[in-house]
Parts: sequence; C-alpha cells; structure tokens
Amino acid sequence: MAASEATLPPRMRPLDILRFAYGAAAGNRLRTLLLILAMAIGVAAVVVLTALGDGARRYVVNEFSAIGSNLVIVLPGRSQTGGFSPANAVTSTPRDLTVADARALQRAPAVRRLAPVTAGTSELSVAGRLRETLIIGTTAEFLEVRRFKLAQGRFLPDEDWDRGTPVMVIGAKLASELFGTVSPLGQFARIGDRRFRVIGVLAAGGSGLGMTTDELAIVPVAQAQAMFNSNTLFRILVEARSREVIELAREQVTQLIKQRHDGEADVTVITQDAVLATFDRLLGTLTLGVAGIAAISLAVAGILVMNVMLVSVTQRTPEIGLMKALGATGRVIRRAFLVEAALLSAAGAVIGYGLGLGGAAIIRALYPVLPAYAPNWAVLAALGTALVTGVVFGVLPARRAAALDPVLALSKR
Amino acid sequence: MIWRDAVFLALRAITAHRLRSFLTLLGIAVGIAAVILLTSIGEGIHRFVLAEFTQFGTNVVGIAPGRVKTAGGSPSGLPTAVRPLSFDDARALQRVPHAIGVAPTVWGNSEVAGNGRLRRTTVYGVSAAALQVFNMSVKSGQFLPDEEWESARAFVVLGSKLKEELFGAANPLGARVRIGTLQFRVIGVLASKGQFLGIDLDDTAFIPAARGLDLFNKDGLTEIHLSYEERASATQVADAVKALLTARHGREDFTITTQEDMLQTLGNILDVLTMAVGALGSISLLVGGVGIVTIMTIAVAERTSEVGLMLALGARRRTILGLFLGEAVVLAALGGAFGLLLGIGLAQLIHLAVPALPVHTPVLYAALAIALASVIGLVAGVAPARRASMLDPVESLRAE
Amino acid sequence: MTTSKANGALIDLERVERVFRLGDSEVHALHELDLTVMPGEYLAVMGPSGSGKSTLLNLVGLLDRPSAGTYRLDGRDVTTLTPEEQAQLRSRRIGFVFQSFHLVPRLTAAENIALPMMLAGIPAAERAPRVQQALADYGLVDRAEHRPDELSGGQRQRVAIARATIMQPALILADEPTGNLDRATGEEVVRLLEELNARGVTLIVVTHDGALGARARRRIEMEDGSVRSDTAATHAPA
Repeated sequence: MAASEATLPPRMRPLDILRFAYGAAAGNRLRTLLLILAMAIGVAAVVVLTALGDGARRYVVNEFSAIGSNLVIVLPGRSQTGGFSPANAVTSTPRDLTVADARALQRAPAVRRLAPVTAGTSELSVAGRLRETLIIGTTAEFLEVRRFKLAQGRFLPDEDWDRGTPVMVIGAKLASELFGTVSPLGQFARIGDRRFRVIGVLAAGGSGLGMTTDELAIVPVAQAQAMFNSNTLFRILVEARSREVIELAREQVTQLIKQRHDGEADVTVITQDAVLATFDRLLGTLTLGVAGIAAISLAVAGILVMNVMLVSVTQRTPEIGLMKALGATGRVIRRAFLVEAALLSAAGAVIGYGLGLGGAAIIRALYPVLPAYAPNWAVLAALGTALVTGVVFGVLPARRAAALDPVLALSKR
Repeated sequence: MIWRDAVFLALRAITAHRLRSFLTLLGIAVGIAAVILLTSIGEGIHRFVLAEFTQFGTNVVGIAPGRVKTAGGSPSGLPTAVRPLSFDDARALQRVPHAIGVAPTVWGNSEVAGNGRLRRTTVYGVSAAALQVFNMSVKSGQFLPDEEWESARAFVVLGSKLKEELFGAANPLGARVRIGTLQFRVIGVLASKGQFLGIDLDDTAFIPAARGLDLFNKDGLTEIHLSYEERASATQVADAVKALLTARHGREDFTITTQEDMLQTLGNILDVLTMAVGALGSISLLVGGVGIVTIMTIAVAERTSEVGLMLALGARRRTILGLFLGEAVVLAALGGAFGLLLGIGLAQLIHLAVPALPVHTPVLYAALAIALASVIGLVAGVAPARRASMLDPVESLRAE
Repeated sequence: MTTSKANGALIDLERVERVFRLGDSEVHALHELDLTVMPGEYLAVMGPSGSGKSTLLNLVGLLDRPSAGTYRLDGRDVTTLTPEEQAQLRSRRIGFVFQSFHLVPRLTAAENIALPMMLAGIPAAERAPRVQQALADYGLVDRAEHRPDELSGGQRQRVAIARATIMQPALILADEPTGNLDRATGEEVVRLLEELNARGVTLIVVTHDGALGARARRRIEMEDGSVRSDTAATHAPA
C-alpha cells in the first residue's frame, strides 16, 4: 500500500470537495432538480421583470428623445409650487400666450428655433365623410423641432405666422381613413366652413409625448386660431442651440415672457430633460420595486435549500461519521456542505438566467416596441442574491454536519 | 378511512419532523404573506381613493363639448370648433327629470391679488348650484347668489387655503380682490375640503361663470355639471341629458361622463394593479409549492416500507394517495394560515409606520389565501402521493 | 394428489407460477406449485434462501399475483379480484407478522395496534375497547403510549402480533417472526402465535430455523420454487 493511500490529506482537495457535492446531488437526482428549479424560478422572475421594467423605461426615454433633443416647452399657466402638475396640463389664463410672444422668443440668444402650437378638436369633412379629429395649428418649424418625417408632399410653408394659407398636413392613418388608396395630395378637406388643401402626409408611427401623429391634422397656426376663436397658444416648443444652453434657454424664455406679460411669469417652462428625468426615476423605482417583490421568491428558495440539506445531513450521517473517522475536521465537512449549497444555487441561478433571457426574448417578440433587455445590474444582483441566499441557508446544515460526533454518526444504521 | 383519522395521521406525520415541516410551511407562508401584504395595500388604496371621490357627491353627471372618439383621446379643456356648450344649454338641462342642480362651469389658472398679496391659483366660474353639485359648504358669508347667469355680479367665494394665504386670520368678507384684470368682491369663504389625490381643493376661487368667460376670454363653457336625485339611476339621467342636448345641437357633439363611470374605471384600474402586484407575490408561492413537492418526495422515499406495511394491512391504494395528499394539503394550509397572520401583521405595521398608506384586508382575501394555499398543497402533493400509491407492496416492504 | 379443489380448504393453490424478469433473464421464483391448506392448520414453510418461500408467502397474502395458475381463498378465485377487493380481503381475513416488525415509528403502541381498524374506517369509539383488550391480552397495557423506539424487541413483536390480529383474521402469515429476537423472547412470540392457532386461526410460518419449523404440525420444504417435501402428503399421488 503506497504511503499516499495510508494518510488522508489534512484538507480536502477542491476536486474531492466537488466530487463529494456532486455525488450527493447525483444520488438524489429528483431532489436536486427540484432545488435547482426553485432557485431558477426566482432568478428567472427577477430577470424577466427587470427586463420588462427597463424596457418600459427605455421606451419612454426613447419616445422623449424622439421628440427632438434640447427641447424646452412653454405652457400657459403656472401652479404656485412651480414645476409641472397634471392640473395645469390644459388650462386657461387671463393673459394669452400669443403668437407674438412666440415670435419675440425667437430673439433669445440660446434659442435655435421654435414653433408655436395651438390645439383643438373639430370635425374634419372629406367628400361627405366626417371625422372628429385633433387639429394642431403650428408653423413650418414644427417639423424640424419635433423631428417628424414626411411620407408624401411637403410640410407647412415658411410664411408669416399671422397669415396662414389654408393648407393641411395629415397623419398616415387619417390619410388612409379619409382618402383610402387615393393620394390625398391636392385634395380638399373641410373644417367647419373652411376649406383646406392637403399638401403633405406624415410618415406613419411618428410619436412622442404619448400622442401619435397618425391621426393628426396640421394647419397653419393663424388658421387654427381663427377656427377655434382663441388667441392663446397651447404650447410653444423651443429648441435650444445645444445641450449646454438648455437651462439658459429656459431662463431667457421665462424672462422674455415676464417682460411681455406685465412682469407676470404666468407660464410654466419645462425642459424635456426634467420631464425625462422624472419618468426615468419613476420607472426605475418601479422596476426596482417589482424586482424586489420577485426576489422574495429567492428567499423561499433559500429556505428550501436549508430544509433539503438538513434532511440530507440526517441521511448522510454515517457517511459523515466515516469521513470524520478518517481524519476530516469539522471545518472540512462544513466547507464541503457549503460548496454543495453554493453549487446548487449557482446551477439554479444559471438556469434561471437562461430562462429569464428566454422570457425577455418572448416579451420582445410580443411587444416589439419594448426593448426588454435585463440590465446588467439586475442580472448580477439576481445571480449574486441567489448564490448568497443558497450559501447563507446552507450554513446551518453545514454546521450541524460538522458538529456530528463520529462515533454516534457511525453507529446509526 | 374516516376524515378525523386521516387528519390525525397527517398531523402525526407533520409533527414527526418539526423543523422540516416548519421550514416547508414557511415557504408557503412567505408567499402568502407577500400576496396578502401587497393586496392589502392595494385594497387600502382602492378604498381610500373611492372615499376621496365620493366626497364630491356621487350623483353628478359631467357634460363636456366635443366627442372624445379619437384614439389616445384629447385632453378635455381643449378648445373645439364643434358647437360649444352655452348657458342656454345649461338652462335647458335644468328640465331633465330628477335633476336637482345645474352648474355651468368654466375653469382656468390665474393670479389672485388680495389684501396686498398675490397668489396663482385655480379659478372656477360656476353658478349658485355649484355649492350643492360639488358637495361644498360655506364656512362664513354666503355662496354665489342665485341670479341670472349672464348678468351675474362680480362676486367671489374663496376656498379656505386661498383665504388663509391672502388674508391670514382676518375676515375677508367685503374685501376687494383682483383676479386677472377683473375686480371682484369677496362674499364668502368655504369650509375646508382637504386634498384630492394630491390636488389642494381649498386653493381655489369661485366666481360666476359669465365672469369666468370674460376672464379667460372664452366663448363656451368648459363643462356643465348636473346633480340628480339619489333615487334616479345614472344611466337614466345620462340618457335624458343625451336626448335633450342632441335635440338642441342636432348632433351628439358632446361627451357625458357619469360619476359612476369614473368610479368604475378607476376601480377597475386599481383592481388590475392590485391583482398584478398580487400575482408578483405569488411567484414566491410557486417556489413554495416546489418546496412541498420536494419534501413530500423525500417523505415518500423515506416511508416506502411504511407504505408496504399499510398495503399489507389492507389499505387501498386510494387511501395511501389520500394520506400523502392530505399531508401536503395540511402542511400548505398551515403555511397559509401562518402566512395570513404574518401578512396582516406586516400590513398593520406598515400602516402604523406610514399612516398615510391605507391598508385593508378584506375577509374574502383571507379566505382566498387559505384556499389558495390548500390548492397549492393539493397540486404539489399529487405527484409524490401518486408515486406512493403505486408502490409495489413486496418491493416496498423490502426497502430500507 | 387430488386435482379437484379440496372441499372447505382455506387456501388452494393450483399450478401456480411466479416469474420475475431480471434484465434479460427470467427467474422462476415459483414453479408449478400446488398447495392446499385447510382452516386451522399450523404450517411451516422452510428452505434455503432463494427457494421461493417468501414469494409463496407474499402470494398467499395477496401482496403478489401469480404469473400463471389459480389461487382460491376460501373457495373463491382471488387472482381475478381487483386490487381494491384484494385489499379488503387482506384487511379482513389476513394478518401479517414480519421479521423487522414494521411498526410505524411515530405512532404509539396503541395507535399502531389500531392502525388496521383506522384503515378499515372503523370509528374511534368502536376502536378503543378493542385496542384496550388487545393491550391487555398481550401484556402491553403499561406500554400503550410508548413509541416503538421505546419498546424492547419482544414488546415490538407483540405489538405487531396484536396489530395483525385486531381485525380477527382467519389466516396469519409470519415471515421469520423470531429472526430479530433473542431465544427467550422468540419462544414467547411463538407461543403467542400457537395460542392463536389453538383458537382456530390458520398459521403459516416461513422460517429457516429448524427448531421453529419442527414445532409446526405440517412442514413443507421448498427448493428452487417447488415443494420438495410435504409432511402432510402422506397419501401417495394418484
């Protein structure tokens, strides 16, 4: 008998530890599979949910970015607390926010270009077909500022804002609804007793701020104001010269309005960034919360790991007693069990990750607009949590195993 | 086998391995607790929001110009070239059966200057009926007098917060106040109504609708609110309104919203949210179920010779199935009960720590929780129990 | 040997085969087995390991089915019974005593004894006096609330016998009943079994212990799945 066989090494070699763990796992395949399944469900849930949440967040951010960057938005009315509030989304004020105001804002140094916007609903009539439509009154700059694309024809002409040739640009869906397969260009549409000539059709799918252009009708602002008999604008969309001067633009705009409105700054000026940041934060927090709830399942999986390992300690008592009799210390035993717990959790985490990726892919297939990718921080957190949970819940069984008295252990059947 | 004996045997089996059984039922308990906690919060919020809404009075119908038919909806308040709502329309609506009060409404945002101070706030142009329609009450002075709408005098009634901000503790009655470019005289202050979903209802000023039209330079009313008798049904009244206005306008170019509709929609949204959140919590229940499957599988393996014995003693396979299944169900049900207490306890704790967050656990939810847990036990226990019932007696007796 | 079923026989096995498939090969645990047992008999089944004696016992006890042949219990062909009906027969007419006792470790002695009655759906009120009687009969009254791991080997086997007889079966099958007991305790257990037999219960004991076998009134020797000798077969085959 060789000398190396007669003595047991003072500590188990990593390979042997792995073999010990694997032997236990393989010996009870169903049990091991169920444990791995439990961990996998938890990790998969976290991965899928963070993918969903992050997809939603990125969708919203993308939508906002699609509006046009460096955007500063002027809204009539202001709440006492300042900032944007849903109550002020649409409101009336004693002093109008006028086209003249908009024109004056063009002089602000930090402003590159801007478009006054007025909005209202009305019935559009084409060859006897009636359709209640959202009408936007604006100027030529609107296309650029909002980064929309044309599918056919051209946009509103660059003309004096106080005049407005009776022309109209319509959205893709509106075009197909009202004109069918016939090209709308050159055709006429009525609003009330005004006739407009259609000169352009917007590309499909343009959206942003929750509103799609597909069902819009765009006319010159002067026409719209006459139509709705109101002098006040719905919004002024301002594009700052560059990212750096957005804040500056905001200040300048607010000042100019104040000057023009008898020292009253009765407008709310918000930057697209600020709104974006709010949504970003909101959705980010939501995703975190949702993932957190899903992660509770990891704790339950951990409980299962502890439970099953405790059972296996009882069942493997003779084996442990033998190992101790052959010279293994408590520390070695403990380490072996912890490694086993870690391996199980790791296997479950990896499988769960795979399942989660699959789930995210399914979401992307079902809802192509959502870029549902699980963010790296979430994946790492899920994997890490699974691993840590498994090990933490494996501590108690490991300690029990290590504390077994070898004589008693061996005497058990 | 008699039920009592089956339960007795199941409990014996469960208590034979106390730690193991506890950990197993803990898995279910955590899941149930999560679901109960989350749905309790959801339900609490639901009730709270409904209560907030009903403070406006539930028997109210709102009529706005334009039909919101376009997808994505245009926010109300947008001007419309479609025929606007007029005072005549509002007057006509007073004749609708069961109508109590009609309040033509214009609203907007403006600066209010009074007592040397300035405040930007919401201004409502309404009529005398608004007091009843919006379920408000006067604290001092009076509300807008019941006079001809078109020629109503320039009076203003202040909300309690607005009064505080402008006049402090002084009596504002009779004082002059400037709103926008127009002058008004204060004739009343409203009792506090509090907040509604974050919006301060007391930070408002009420003026006659006609003055509101002047102030905001508008042609038509923003909305018409109509309150009706308790005993009438919302649909009845809405239909009557629709018929009347359609006749007047020649077309249905307006939108009618009943308070009931709004509550219904809101309630549905909240319910969906609550359920979604509850579904999230039940992911952990799923894992808990896997736990039961695992432990029962181990139990069957350990007690193989016992199964053989019972078969030898004349137990039917169905009985064996029932015994193991029963064990799983009892375990799960105990876990469910424990989790229920845990969840309710946590919910109450959170409510104590954050009184602003309402919680409520309906008895139905509690019962459902226990039922759900039992069902999970049933489903989880089926496979191991079937395996147990199909064991070969001879082999089993030889086992271990 | 007479081929017609003996009238009034409790057990009648005719040309019974039991074949096991082990991998590719077939094992004939029982081969062309004929056996008739009258009520009240005291029979010892002996033979080396692998002779099929345990298989025979399992078959007689309805725990196993013959691959071929017929088994009539009390004149009724039981091989065609459904598993449910077989279970019922086991419950009412057959009692088992095992070498390793097979007591349920988490139930007390009294509860173990009551187990067959619980399985048969007998209500608690009816069970209690019968259990009390059994405890008294087998000298276990002061051990009634103890778990098996608190009982001695002899006490455990007595609980097992009490359990086997609580439903008043017509037949007791004992598989090496004294195997895990010391000599003196074993004697006691055998005596108990013989007392039962004296009251008319048919007793079949499987054993490799010659001394135990000698006590039976009838002995059959098995080898390779067949009956080699049968002390009752004094009349020559026809």
